[in-house]
Amino acid sequence: MSKISRRDLLQYIGAGGIGVAGGVLYGEGVQRKVELLIPQVIPPEDYSPGVATWYNTVCNQCSAGCGISVRIREGKAKKIEGNPVHPVSRGRLCARGQAGLNVLYNPDRIRTPLQRADRGSENTAEISWDDALTTIGSRIGRLKIEGNAGRIRLLTGRTRGHLDELFAQFMNLLGSEHYQQYDFTYPSALAAANKTSFGTDVLPYYDIENADFLLSFGADYLGTWLSPVHYSRAYGNLRQGRQGQRGKTVQVEPRMSLSGAAADEWIAARPGTEGLLALGIAHVLVSSGSYTGNDRDEWSSALQAYSPSMVSAETEVSEDTIVRIAEEFGASTASLAIAGGATAAGTNAVASIVAVNALNHLAGNLGKPGGVILNSAQTFPAAAGSSPAGLQGALDLVAAMQAGDVEVLLVHDTNPVFSLPDNVGFRQAMENVPLIIALSSFHDETTVMADFILPTNTYLESWGDDVPDPGVGFPVTSLSQPVVAPLYDTLPVGDIILSLARQIGGELPIHMPWASMEEFIKDRWREEFDERMSEGQDQNFEAFWQAVLEAGVWGQPGAAAGGQPESSSSPTIAAIADPVSKFAGDETDYPFVLHPYLTATFLDGRGANLPWLQELPDPMTSVVYGSWAELNPVTADELGIEEGDVLEIESPAGSIRVPAFIFPAIRPGVVAVPIGQGHTSYGRYASDRGVNPIHIVATLMDKQSGDLAWAATRVKITNTGERLRIVKTDGVTRTLGRQILGPGNDHG
Amino acid sequence: MFDHGQPSYAEVNKDILSTMLETGPKYWMLLGMTMSVAGICFFMPWIYQLFVGVGAAGMNHNAVWGSYLSNFIFWIGLSHSGTLLSAVLHITNSPWRKSIYRSAEAMTLFSLMTAALFVMVHVGRVWFVHWSFPIPNEMGLWPNFRSPLMFDVMAITTYLTASSIFIYMGSVPDFAAVRDASTGLRRRLYTIFSFGWRGTAREWHTLGWAYTFFAVFVIPLAVSVHSIVSWDFALSAVPGFHHTIFAPYFVCGAIYSGTAGIVTVMYCLRKFLGFERYIGQVHLDSLGKLLITLSLIWSYINILELFTTWFGGTSYELEALSFRLTGFYAPLYWEMLIFCAFVPLLMLFKKIRLSWNKMLLISVLINIGMLTERFIIVATSQPRKFLPGAFGFYVPSWIEISISVGSFAIFVTLFLIFIKWVPAISIYEVKETLKPLRRNV
Amino acid sequence: MSTFVEKLRQYSKPGYYDEFDYHWTMTIDLDRCTGCEACVVACQAENNLPIVGEERFAQSREIKWIRIERYWEGEYPNIKMGFIPMLCQHCDDAPCETACPVYATYHNQDGLNTQIYNRCIGTRTCAVYCPYEVRYFNWFTYTWDEPLEQQLNPDVSVREKGVMEKCTFCIQRIRIAKDNAKDDDRRRVRDGEVVPACVQSCPTEAMLFGNSKDPEAKVSKMMKNTRGYTVLKDLNTTPSIVYLKKVHA
Repeated sequence: MSKISRRDLLQYIGAGGIGVAGGVLYGEGVQRKVELLIPQVIPPEDYSPGVATWYNTVCNQCSAGCGISVRIREGKAKKIEGNPVHPVSRGRLCARGQAGLNVLYNPDRIRTPLQRADRGSENTAEISWDDALTTIGSRIGRLKIEGNAGRIRLLTGRTRGHLDELFAQFMNLLGSEHYQQYDFTYPSALAAANKTSFGTDVLPYYDIENADFLLSFGADYLGTWLSPVHYSRAYGNLRQGRQGQRGKTVQVEPRMSLSGAAADEWIAARPGTEGLLALGIAHVLVSSGSYTGNDRDEWSSALQAYSPSMVSAETEVSEDTIVRIAEEFGASTASLAIAGGATAAGTNAVASIVAVNALNHLAGNLGKPGGVILNSAQTFPAAAGSSPAGLQGALDLVAAMQAGDVEVLLVHDTNPVFSLPDNVGFRQAMENVPLIIALSSFHDETTVMADFILPTNTYLESWGDDVPDPGVGFPVTSLSQPVVAPLYDTLPVGDIILSLARQIGGELPIHMPWASMEEFIKDRWREEFDERMSEGQDQNFEAFWQAVLEAGVWGQPGAAAGGQPESSSSPTIAAIADPVSKFAGDETDYPFVLHPYLTATFLDGRGANLPWLQELPDPMTSVVYGSWAELNPVTADELGIEEGDVLEIESPAGSIRVPAFIFPAIRPGVVAVPIGQGHTSYGRYASDRGVNPIHIVATLMDKQSGDLAWAATRVKITNTGERLRIVKTDGVTRTLGRQILGPGNDHG
Repeated sequence: MFDHGQPSYAEVNKDILSTMLETGPKYWMLLGMTMSVAGICFFMPWIYQLFVGVGAAGMNHNAVWGSYLSNFIFWIGLSHSGTLLSAVLHITNSPWRKSIYRSAEAMTLFSLMTAALFVMVHVGRVWFVHWSFPIPNEMGLWPNFRSPLMFDVMAITTYLTASSIFIYMGSVPDFAAVRDASTGLRRRLYTIFSFGWRGTAREWHTLGWAYTFFAVFVIPLAVSVHSIVSWDFALSAVPGFHHTIFAPYFVCGAIYSGTAGIVTVMYCLRKFLGFERYIGQVHLDSLGKLLITLSLIWSYINILELFTTWFGGTSYELEALSFRLTGFYAPLYWEMLIFCAFVPLLMLFKKIRLSWNKMLLISVLINIGMLTERFIIVATSQPRKFLPGAFGFYVPSWIEISISVGSFAIFVTLFLIFIKWVPAISIYEVKETLKPLRRNV
Repeated sequence: MSTFVEKLRQYSKPGYYDEFDYHWTMTIDLDRCTGCEACVVACQAENNLPIVGEERFAQSREIKWIRIERYWEGEYPNIKMGFIPMLCQHCDDAPCETACPVYATYHNQDGLNTQIYNRCIGTRTCAVYCPYEVRYFNWFTYTWDEPLEQQLNPDVSVREKGVMEKCTFCIQRIRIAKDNAKDDDRRRVRDGEVVPACVQSCPTEAMLFGNSKDPEAKVSKMMKNTRGYTVLKDLNTTPSIVYLKKVHA
C-alpha cells in the first residue's frame, strides 16, 4: 500500500466534499421527500408520540347522550369507549357509539363548503367559506330588513344543550319563530302520554336495574329504546346483579326484538292491541284486589269492560297468560311496565302508553326503586327549542313550504326526506323553497336538495354540552370537547351560526358576541357556575371547568329527583278509552301488517353510512349489507316463499321490493322490514342498498301527540319470482342437540 | 409375454431408443400444446392468485381447504403405484413388471412434483414456504414436529428423493445404451448420466443388489407417505376426517388410483410410441386383476366408514354423513361410488380385462371417481364442523378449476419431456425376459 | 443435545406451566348477554379488523374475531333465542397448536393461544382443526378507504394476505398492563387491570376477564358458578372461556 501524501489527502477530502454536497442536493432536490412516521416532530404540548391520551366527550350517535372516552394517539382518534364516570353509559358503549370513529374518518365527509346549481343532482362546486357566508348572510339579512324574517325556517334533528339555545336565540333575534326539530326516533307519544299519566312530559327514569318484573310493551330497551346502553347495563343487573334474585322480563311485540329475545316470555299479541292487553292486565290487578288505592272503584268501573276473556279474544293472548302475568306483576315487589316500539306507533299510541303507565300506578311502583322515577325538569341548560313534534310538525312545515311561505330553509342534522313517508311529500315541497342551506357533515337525501352545503365538524371535533334525556334521576350535564383537530375545512355548527349572525349584522352580533361555540359554552357555564354551581365549592371557575372537561360530565348524584309522580286516575281513565290502533288499508286487500322496526345498528338510517355498522351482522338475523322482509315460516310455506325470494310489499301508500327472510319469531300475518337501508345518496357505504320501509308507511298519526303511526299500515305481498342474495353469517340456527348453549339448555 | 412375437436384442434397442432419438413434428406440437395449456391454465391463474391472495380461489371462512388440497391428495395418490408397484413386483420377481415399470416410476415422480406444486398453490404465503423445512437459521426456529403437515413435508421429500434415486438407478444401463447409440453432445451427456457404465459383471451385481435394497426400502416409505397425508385429515377432530380407518383408506385409494393411472399411461405409450410389442395383454390382464382386488378393498373400507359413523352415533358425525349422502354434493358421492365401486366389477370378465379400449375407459373413470372422492372429503366435511351457526359452503372458483385442469397439462408435459430423455421402457430388463437367442438363426 | 433433553424433561414435568403467574381466562354470562354485538365492533376497532365489503362478505370472507352465534329453540309461539358470543377459546389443549407446521401458533406462558403473523405461511390447517371456527384467514390484503386508516390502532399490526389471524385476548393491553406492573414493582397485574376490548364494551357486563391463577380474582370465582360450562366439552380442548348458561325461568 502506497503512502498517501498530505496533498492527496486534501484532494480526497475536496472530492469527497463535492460528493457529499452532490448527495445532499440529490437527496433534497431530486429524491421524493421522505414522509415522517410521526406527523409532528415537535409535538403539540398536549400529546407525546407513543402515548395514548383519553378525552371525555359525549356520544351523538343517538339521543341517549352517553358519555364517551376517546383514545387519541399522535393526534388521531383510535377508539371510543364508554366514559366510566358518566351516569348514562357507565363505561359501556353500544356498537353504534363505537362506530363513531367511522363518522369522523368517513371517506364521504364533505370537506369544503359546496354550492349546488341544480337540486337533486350530485354535482356541486366548491366555494370558500367567506363567499358562502356572505351570500347566505346577505340573503337572510335582506329578509330580516324587509320584515320577512318569518319566512326563514330552521329545521334540526334532536338538539339539546347550548346548541339548542344558540339556535333558538339566533332565530329569535332574526325574528322568526320557526325553529323546529324533527327526529324519527323521538318518542313524542311517550312524552305526551307521560304528561297525561304523571303530569310532566320530562321523560322519567325507568329503574330497570332494580326491577323484579319487567313488562315491556314493544319497547326494545336493549336495542333502540331511549337509552339502550344504560338499560342494557340495568338489564344485566336485573338478571344477575343481585345475589339470589333474578328479575323476570316479559316482552309483548309482534316481532321478536333484541329485548324479546332476552325476555323470559315473549308474547305476540295482535298488532295494535297492546294497549288493550295492558288494560286486561290492569283489570285483573284491580279485580283481584291487588290494587288497594282509594280510587279503586273508579278504576274498577273504568276497567269493567276489559275482562280477560274479552281482551283475550281481541289480542289473541290466552286468558291464562293475561291472568298469570297480571298476578306476577301484582305480586312482584318491584314491577315495571314500559311501552315503546310498535306499541307507541299506532293511531292510539298515547292511549296505549297511558294504559301501560296505569299498570305502573296500579302496581304501586311510582317513585320507588325498580319503578318509574321522575326526573326534574332540566334547568341548565334549559330546553330552549321545542322537542321534535313528530309527523304533525313535519306536515306543518311541508304545508308552509307548499304555500310558498318559506324563503330560506336551514337544515341541520336531520334527514326528513329519508325518514318521513313518501306521502308527506317533503322533497317535493322543498322545490318551492328558494334557498335551502344544509349544515351537515355528509351528503344525504335532504342535503342533495340544498343550494348551499356548509360542512360541519363531527361531534368528535366540536364543543358542546348535553343533558341526557331521559335523565338518570338526578341533575346531569355532559360536556363535549373536540378530541381531534378538524380534519377538513369544516366548522362546528355553532360557529357557523355565530358567523352568520356576524354576517347578518344588526343587533345579532351584539347579543351573540361570542367568537366561537367554545367561548359561548364556557361563558354560559361561567354564568351558571357563578349563580348556582359554586355553592359549596371552594374552587374557582377555571378549576371547575377543567375538572368538568376532564370528567366530561357534571352531576349532582343524590340531589332530589323530580318528586313523587301524582297519578290522578281521571285523566288516565279518560285517555285509555281508545285502546286499539286503526290501520291504513283494508284487511281483505292488504292482509298483512307492516312492522317496520328500528335496528340497533342504523337506527332511523343515520348509521347506514358507517362501514363497521354495515358489516355488523344484524343481531337477530345475522344479515349484513341490505334489507330483508321477515315472514313467519308457516306464512312463508303457505305462500310458497323461500329465503331470497324478492317480494313486492305494497301498502296503500306505495310499494317496495325486498328479499324475504324466514324468521321463526314473528307473528303470522305480520311482515317486518328493518329501517335504515334504502338510501339513495348517503355515501359509498349506504347508497343504493336495500329499501326504506318508512317510505310506504301511510301518513296516519296519533291524534294526541301528532306522532307518526308508523306501525299502522297494512300491506299485501306478492312474490315477484325474482331472487336476491341475502348476505348473512349464520349457517344453521338450531343447535342440533350439541349442548352449545349449555348442558340442559339445549332443546334442539 | 409378447403379443406379436419375440423381438431380437437389436430390435429392442432400436424400438425403444427410436422414441428418444427420432422426434417428429407431432411430438413438438403436442409438447407445445401441453406447455401452453400448463401456462395458461395453471401458471397464469396462479400468478394472478399470488398478486391478489388466495381469495382468488373459492375457499372461505367455513371451508379454508378446497380443491387445491383435494388435487394434492389426488396427485400424491396417483404417485403411489409407480414406485411401490415396481418395487413390490421386483421383489416378488414378476416378469411382466419389466416393460412397464420405468413409465410407472416416472409417473410417480411427476405426480409427486405436481402434488408439490399444489402445496405451493395452496399456501397463503408461498414465498415463505421454505420455513416448513428444518433449515438451521439465525433465529433458532424449527418447524413444529407435532404437525402432521410437517410429517408430510418429511414424507413427501423423502419419497420424492427415494423415487428419483430408484428410477435413476434402474436407468443407468439404459443410459449407457443411449450413449452407445448416439453421437455428439448427446453422447457426452449420456456418458455423464450413465456414470461410465460398462456392463461388467461386477457392475451388474452391484446394481442388482442396490436395486433390490431400494425396492425394499421404498415399499414402507410409499405406504407411510399416504398414511401421513391421511393424517393431515385424521388428526383433526373434524367430523368426516377424524377416522382411524383413514390411513389404510388413503393408501388403498392411492394404490387404486395409481394402478388405474398406469393402465392409462400404458395405453398411451402403446398407442403413441408404438410399444405394442412390449406392452401386451399379460400386462393388461395382471393390472386388471390388481384393480379388481383394490376396488373391492376400497369398497369394503367405504362401507366400514359408513358403518362406524352410523354406529358411533354422535351428532357431528351423523350430520356430516347425512350431508355427504344427501346434501348438495351427494350427486358427486354417488358418482364416485358408481365409478370406483361398481364399474370396476366389469373387469371380472376376462373379455373386458383384455380389451385395451374398455380398460382405458374404466381406468379413466376410476381416476375421475378418485378425484371426486378427494374433493368430497375436503369439501363436505370441513364446512360443517361443530357449531351449526358456523356451517358454510364451498364451491370451487374458476381459478381453482383452471388450475386443476392445468395440473394435468403439467403432468403430461413432464412425461413428454421424460420420454425424450429416458428410455420409456427398460431396455435391459426387457432383454432379460427374452428367451436366450440361438446363434445364426 | 443434553440441554435439549433436559429442557424436554422440564416441559413434560407436571406443573411446569403452573410456575407462571398467569392463566388468562374469560367468563361469559349468557344470562346477561343480549346479543347486541357491541363487542364485535369493539374488537373491530381495537384490533384493526378490515372492512371487507359486501361481495367478500357474501363469500364468507369476513373477519370478525368475535362473533355472536344465534340458536333458536322451539317453534312459534313458544320460541326462544339463544345468543352465544364465539371467540378464540384459548384452549389449553388446542387442536390448532399441533397443526401448524411452522409454529406460527403456540401456547404461551400466560395460557394464551397466540398467533405469530410474521411466521404464518398460510396452510390454514389451524383453521380446519379449530372446532370453534374462530380463526380467520386473510384471503386478500385489505385496504381502508382513505382516511379510515387513520383510525388503525398503532399497538396492533395490520395483517397482509395469506396470514391467519384470530382473537388475542387483546394481548397488547395485557402487555401494557404488565409493563405498568413492572414499573410499579408489582409481580402481577391487579385483577381488573387488563380488560380486552370486548369485555370493556359489553353493555350488560356479561363478560369478565382475569387471571384464573389468582384465586381472589373475580373471574376465578365466576368460573366456579354452577351455571358454568365450556362449549364442545366432549372434544377435550379445555377452553379458557367459561360460559355461564342462561337461566330458563
